[in-house]
Amino acid sequence: MTAGDKRKASADDDGGDEKDSPFGIWLSRGLHQLFDDVANEPIPEELLRLIEEDRNK
Amino acid sequence: MTFHDQVIAILPKLRIQALSLTRNRAAAEDLVQDAVCNALAAQNSFIPGTNFSAWMHRILRNRFISDLRKRRETTDIDDVPASSFASPATHEDNLALKDLSMALSRLPADQREALVMVVIQGMSYEALAEATDCAVGTAKSRVFRARRQLEAWMNGDLPVNDRLRMKVKALRDAMDIRHRDGQSAHDLLLS
Repeated sequence: MTAGDKRKASADDDGGDEKDSPFGIWLSRGLHQLFDDVANEPIPEELLRLIEEDRNK
Repeated sequence: MTFHDQVIAILPKLRIQALSLTRNRAAAEDLVQDAVCNALAAQNSFIPGTNFSAWMHRILRNRFISDLRKRRETTDIDDVPASSFASPATHEDNLALKDLSMALSRLPADQREALVMVVIQGMSYEALAEATDCAVGTAKSRVFRARRQLEAWMNGDLPVNDRLRMKVKALRDAMDIRHRDGQSAHDLLLS
């Protein structure tokens, strides 16, 4: 393992810890507030129709 | 589950990926629709039993990159309105959330996409790597750097561009004062 690899592996390990840090928890909550609505919005009819039309081809 | 059922089932996740890439709801809706069209046109190239989710996310990502390249010939990525993640008014009332939204929009698209797919969709680094066509180490690194950068910005460290902008503004203000007083401002440019 090179010095560069060691630095990278260390950074990756830190990434795991950061998820559970106070900032990591706050970030997760904030991202959910920003993105959850988008995921839960109804799918546009036009898009569904496009998929169904292709299915029935 | 048929191919078309799988397309419908993955739409909410594609929307999240699209919003994380485009930073704009309307652009995200267009991107999802375009990606679905591409997927329907290429459905014969999908091998049943292989990872449909990764295949679909890659199509959306490639479409985003391809659109970006075309747009760059005529305009700039920064022309896309940023910070449109939190459009509901109730969310904008939350200042910290608004700051987060702004900070997110400043991240490189690949870091933003990686962070969102891991945090919001609960994707593993391996799945993220497959969905974004990169090595697992690269996927981990993108998420790590995104977290670190956001934490720095949210703790008050200004983005490099903002620091530069503030320096330029301070310089302009100083030059204006000199000019108003009828003095030369040449030395300011040399400092």
